[in-house]
Amino acid sequence: MIEEYFDGEMDEKNSRLVAAHIAACGACALEYDRLGREQELYTSYEREVDVTPALWAGVQARIREERADQTGSVRQWLTGFFSAPRLSLVATAALVVIAVGATVGVMSYLNSRNQPGGVSTGDQTARNNPSSNSNTQGGTDNQKPDDVAPPAPEKSEPMPVPPNRVARKETAKKPTPEQLVREAEQKYVAAIALLSKEVNQRRTELDPAVLAQFDSALAAIDRTIEDTRRAVRQSPNDPIALQYMLAAYAKKVDVLREMAND
Amino acid sequence: MAEAISLRSQSSGRAEALMNNSRIIERARGGDDEAFRMIFDRYSRPIISFIYDMVGQRELAEELTQETFVRAYRSLKLLRDDAKLSTWLFGIAKNVARESLRSRMRENHRVEIDDDRVAMIADNELTPDDRLLNKELSLVIQAALSALDEDKRMVFTLKIFQQRSYEEIADITGFSVPKLKTDLHRARAEMRRRIEPYLGVGYEV
Repeated sequence: MIEEYFDGEMDEKNSRLVAAHIAACGACALEYDRLGREQELYTSYEREVDVTPALWAGVQARIREERADQTGSVRQWLTGFFSAPRLSLVATAALVVIAVGATVGVMSYLNSRNQPGGVSTGDQTARNNPSSNSNTQGGTDNQKPDDVAPPAPEKSEPMPVPPNRVARKETAKKPTPEQLVREAEQKYVAAIALLSKEVNQRRTELDPAVLAQFDSALAAIDRTIEDTRRAVRQSPNDPIALQYMLAAYAKKVDVLREMAND
Repeated sequence: MAEAISLRSQSSGRAEALMNNSRIIERARGGDDEAFRMIFDRYSRPIISFIYDMVGQRELAEELTQETFVRAYRSLKLLRDDAKLSTWLFGIAKNVARESLRSRMRENHRVEIDDDRVAMIADNELTPDDRLLNKELSLVIQAALSALDEDKRMVFTLKIFQQRSYEEIADITGFSVPKLKTDLHRARAEMRRRIEPYLGVGYEV
């Protein structure tokens, strides 16, 4: 209690009470006096250590070294990350096809789950009309991809189709590459939002130094995302620009996942 | 009235200092070396003293102070409350010192007090020369500090030498206020036992 009073950590009311007690109690007055003498003695403590110019020079050198390393490693990471497209245009195209194909596959699966056995006369029309099938990239309104629709019974009679079903089938067009990319982007954005939330909850548990490195990497990736999005806006059909952008999103997901599991 | 004006000017001076601090931190966050140098100039002395009190070796204290400021530079973006820069720096220094102490423990180079040396110094007749006395006393204090266990040494150093409040010590160390009060009380008692002979004529226990 007296130490707390001596340290100035007591509220005003209690301080007054303790002060009154010390004035009346010899033992407590002695203890209070002793604390004062000790404190005085401790102020004369001389350490054999001081801040020298060399100390700042050392700090500065290490900061510069780290900064150079960081710039080097980010550059190296970016070079490594984006070197494949530069080396091989075929690889780029293949990756885009794989990404688009995977998205189409997922969409087909979702469509088939949502519309069990849904076969329309529109499909048959399309199937019976090779000229309309050949234009797979054109995206005409009546087009329906063969790999999405389940095969129709070969000799079945044309069934009357309710108007609402026709409307639904007409809207279920094959998505354009732009749509697929937009969807992929949206999925990445959603995943990033979820992971970011999780990471933010864990921030205090992470080592500050590690956290700083992660944050620095995330900032670099964000800049890359921004740059690649700008490139995609300027050249929406450029597969390399698209791959750069999706790769940057994927990298951000990877880093956030690593942070969440660290 | 004069007191009120003085209080107001003190408070506005503090606000101005905080604002300046924030500006400096912001500049340092943006990679301004000169701003970080100002932070270093302002806090390096208390930080090196604290680390020295914790590890008890000059070269090591210098090395660990350097490490503290490098880590601070690296993580400056994580400092949420600019007004707590000092507490935050002490927190980093505490981690750096602890890591060093633990790695030394692992290497079996325990920081141990030379009890005989302290006893010898404490028992000897004190020289009347003040400078020599101070040097001697400093050695006794340093040796006595080394004899405290790590938690007590940290709390004692932060309170007695760095004049930190209980709340700040709790922030820096992560200890609860009751624990740090207990540690501080015990540390004071242990230190008292060792510095008794220097408390002056007429001092009675």
